[in-house]
Amino acid sequence: MGELTLGVFPSLVGSMSLDFAFKLAEAGMAKGHKVNMWLSGNAVMMAKKGQKAFKDYSHNEKKMKELIGKGMEITVCEACAEARGYHKEDTPEGMKRASMDWYLAKTVKTDRLLHIGGE
Amino acid sequence: MKLAVFLSDWRRTEDTFERLKADKLGVVLVGNGIYHAVVKEGGKDSPVLSKAGASFYVLSDDLETRGYTAANVNSKVKVIGYGDIVDLIMNDYEKTAWL
Amino acid sequence: MGAVKLLFVVQRPPYKSENPRLALTHAIASQTAEIYMDDGDSVVPTVVFVGDGVLNAVKNQNAMKVYGVTSTENHIKSSLMIDMPVWVCKEDMARLGLKEDQIITDAEDMGAELKTTFVSYADIQKEMEAVKHLLFF
Repeated sequence: MGELTLGVFPSLVGSMSLDFAFKLAEAGMAKGHKVNMWLSGNAVMMAKKGQKAFKDYSHNEKKMKELIGKGMEITVCEACAEARGYHKEDTPEGMKRASMDWYLAKTVKTDRLLHIGGE
Repeated sequence: MKLAVFLSDWRRTEDTFERLKADKLGVVLVGNGIYHAVVKEGGKDSPVLSKAGASFYVLSDDLETRGYTAANVNSKVKVIGYGDIVDLIMNDYEKTAWL
Repeated sequence: MGAVKLLFVVQRPPYKSENPRLALTHAIASQTAEIYMDDGDSVVPTVVFVGDGVLNAVKNQNAMKVYGVTSTENHIKSSLMIDMPVWVCKEDMARLGLKEDQIITDAEDMGAELKTTFVSYADIQKEMEAVKHLLFF
């Protein structure tokens, strides 16, 4: 089995690219691969706890927590988060915050990288 | 190079896709990129599907989300699921590009 | 693993999208990535501006003066200062009517020795084949 790293930059709500990323991560893990996810740019708002689920908006918090529970490593860009007023105490359990070098370092060992750029 | 390109837009402002070359090229249509597989603008196939030597795939979930089924898909394009995308990334191609 | 090459491909103009800025800031972060890596491992990024992305490399940007934000020019110069290769596609410059004297070619004011490299698309294609991972912004 291999290691797949997803770099995800699009917004929490709108493009549905984040929804794609989580479904792909789930499928990757179901096939036994290790999956890492880096949330950066507008995607960092995905990692803010306390989101309310409305049917008019994408809502991935539950799936994110499930995947973290199954071993997905997910890290959010600290500077991008702080710039958006989202602080350490807002981070869901099991999620890491780091500087951009975390993502760069992951590219070394991962077998495949899918970098999903922002809008 | 074995390259899997993910097209997630219908209208694009860059010409990167047209210039990309690979010994083995897979084009995975996701998000609004699925319209390249089903819309015949002016009665013609999307120019994306004329990329020489490429294999084309479209994500079934994103087809269904937008009101299409496999029956609407251009014969050049194979309908796949998320698990198939994982296999393409991990087994069939070495690099990916999300455009 | 040793040194792993990455190619950051910037294909859109600056400012309206955060993408070009994020390409540069992430690439620059390679300088400190070793804290997360095993001894002997490193990432070696190159940033290339293609298509309308070459507009990022136009010099005399005043984003700090006007909007109070770091300019893309400043990030490009910071990249040169840390000896990170910055490439600009010649064919796209010609298509958009840009001459070399309109482009950020160096960061001598920041003490950088490395200069911007003007490359053909064929060179970019070769680099895409040479690197381990591609990151399109």
